[in-house]
Amino acid sequence: MGDSPPAPIPGDFFALLARHGSSPIPPGHANSLAPVETQATTVFGFHFADGAIIAGDRRATAGNVIVTDTIEKVIELDATSLLAIAGVPATAFEMARALQTSFEYFRRSQLQPLSLPARVRALSRALRDNLPLTLQGVGVVAPIFAGLDTTQSPPKPCLFFYDALGAQFQAVGFAASGSGANTVRSILGYQERFGNPRPSTLDRRAAVRLALQLLMIAAEFDSATGGVHPATQRYATLRLLTADGVENVPDAEQAAALEPSPAAP
Amino acid sequence: MTDEPYRWLEAIGQRREYVESRLHGGSPILAACLHQGLLLLGVGTGQSKVFEIFDRHAMAGIGHPADLERLRQSAIDAAHLEAFTRAPDDVSLRRLVSFGIAPTIKVAFEQLFSPPFLARTLFVELGATPTEDTLAHVDFDGTFAFQKGGCRILAEPGTDTGPAEAFLATHQRPEFTLPAAAQLLLSVWTHLTQGAALTTDATPPPRLAELIGSRTLEAGFLARSHRRAARYLALTPEQLGLAPSPTP
Repeated sequence: MGDSPPAPIPGDFFALLARHGSSPIPPGHANSLAPVETQATTVFGFHFADGAIIAGDRRATAGNVIVTDTIEKVIELDATSLLAIAGVPATAFEMARALQTSFEYFRRSQLQPLSLPARVRALSRALRDNLPLTLQGVGVVAPIFAGLDTTQSPPKPCLFFYDALGAQFQAVGFAASGSGANTVRSILGYQERFGNPRPSTLDRRAAVRLALQLLMIAAEFDSATGGVHPATQRYATLRLLTADGVENVPDAEQAAALEPSPAAP
Repeated sequence: MTDEPYRWLEAIGQRREYVESRLHGGSPILAACLHQGLLLLGVGTGQSKVFEIFDRHAMAGIGHPADLERLRQSAIDAAHLEAFTRAPDDVSLRRLVSFGIAPTIKVAFEQLFSPPFLARTLFVELGATPTEDTLAHVDFDGTFAFQKGGCRILAEPGTDTGPAEAFLATHQRPEFTLPAAAQLLLSVWTHLTQGAALTTDATPPPRLAELIGSRTLEAGFLARSHRRAARYLALTPEQLGLAPSPTP
C-alpha cells in the first residue's frame, strides 16, 4: 500500500483551496507588536412572528478611533443564510467570504444545497481554524449565524451563536454578540420574559422598530457601537430571514418603522 | 503508433468517428439572449443537460453523462477558485474556456491512450445587455467558438442546423418574454428531433407532454436583474408558461 493522500471530500471548497495552496485562514503567528486591530460591535438577532431579524451597527473602531460608520456586519452568505460578525473585521470578513464561496460551491457542484447542520459546522470549523490568532488576541471573531431549516415545512429560521473557539449554540429566542451585546441581551431577555407583546410575536414593522431601538440604546452605553441616527439618515444593517429566504430591510423602511405608529394613541 | 505520423492521423480520425457515433442521438440544446436574461433550454432526464457554473455562468451539453459531469466539475472548480482568489467579476467565460476547458478537452482527444471527452458543450456568460452575452461552443476535440448575443443551437454532429438557425435569426427577438422565447425554442427543438415544420403559427401551442413525452424539460435562466449575485434559476415548465400535460 502506498502513502497516497486521502481522497478529497466531494463538494468541499476548503479541500479544493488546500489542494491549490490557497487556504483562507492558515494558522498564523502574530507577535506582541501586532498593530491594533479594528473591532467592537453590536450585532444581534431575534425571532419575530414571520421569522428572524438580524441587526448590526455600522461602526468599526481601532482603540478609541472610529475607523468608519459605514461597514456592513450582517452578511448574506447565500439565499438562506446570514452571518453577523463581531470581532476583528480582517478575520471575520475573510471567514464570511470563504463561507459564501463554500456554500455556493457545494450547491453548484453537488446539485443540492448544503444542509443547515453542515453550514453551522462549517462556521464552527472556520472559528476553530482561527484558534491561533484567537489565543494571541489579534483575530477574535464571535459571530451569529442564521439559517433556514428546510427539513421543516414551512422552512424554519434558526439562530446560532458561537464562542471564539468555535463552540456553537442554538438560540431559542435571541442572540447577541460584540461589545454592546450585554445591553441588548438584557433588554431582549426582559422583553421575551415579561414584555407584552413579546419580541417573538411582533410583526415586521414592530420588529424592525425594536431592532433599531435596541441599537440606539446599545450605542448609548458602548462607544464602539454606531447606533442609529434618523436625523442624519444613518441607519443600521437589518436583514430578515423568513421561510422565503433572506431579505434586506432598506433605509426607507427603517425610517418608516421609527415614525409614530398610526394606531398609537 | 505515435512515432508514425500516418498511423497517428489515422487513429485520430478513427477516434473522431468513434466520438461522433457516441454523440449520435443527443438531444439538442438551445440558447437565446433576451432583455430579461439568458435562457438555456434542453430536454433530458432532469439535472442532466443544463447546469449552473457560477454567478453569471451556466453550461449545457450533449454526450456521455460522466464526461459532462467531469467538464461541469472542472468549470465549477476553476470559476470558484478564480472568484475566491481574485474576485467574482474576474471569472470570465473567455478565460474559462480558452485557458481551462478547451485545452483539457483537446489534450484528452489527441492523446490516444487516454479517454476522450464524449461531450459537446455550450458555455454561456450573462452580460449587461443581450448583445454582451457570450456563448461559447466547445466541441469534443477542444475546438471552440465564441458568439456575442443572439441564439445558439447545440446538436449532435452531422445535424443540419442551418434552417433552424435561420428561423431563430428571423423570429427570435431579445424583447420576447420568457414564455414566448421558450415556446419558440421548443418548436425548434421539435423540428430538430422530430422533423416538425418550423412555424410560429401553432395556435394553441401543443402541450409539452405531446412534444417531449416522458422526458424532462430542463431550462436554466440567468436573470439580468436580480438582487443576488447568483443569477441562475432552474425554471419549471409552469414558470415558462408551458403547460406540462393536456387538460382533461
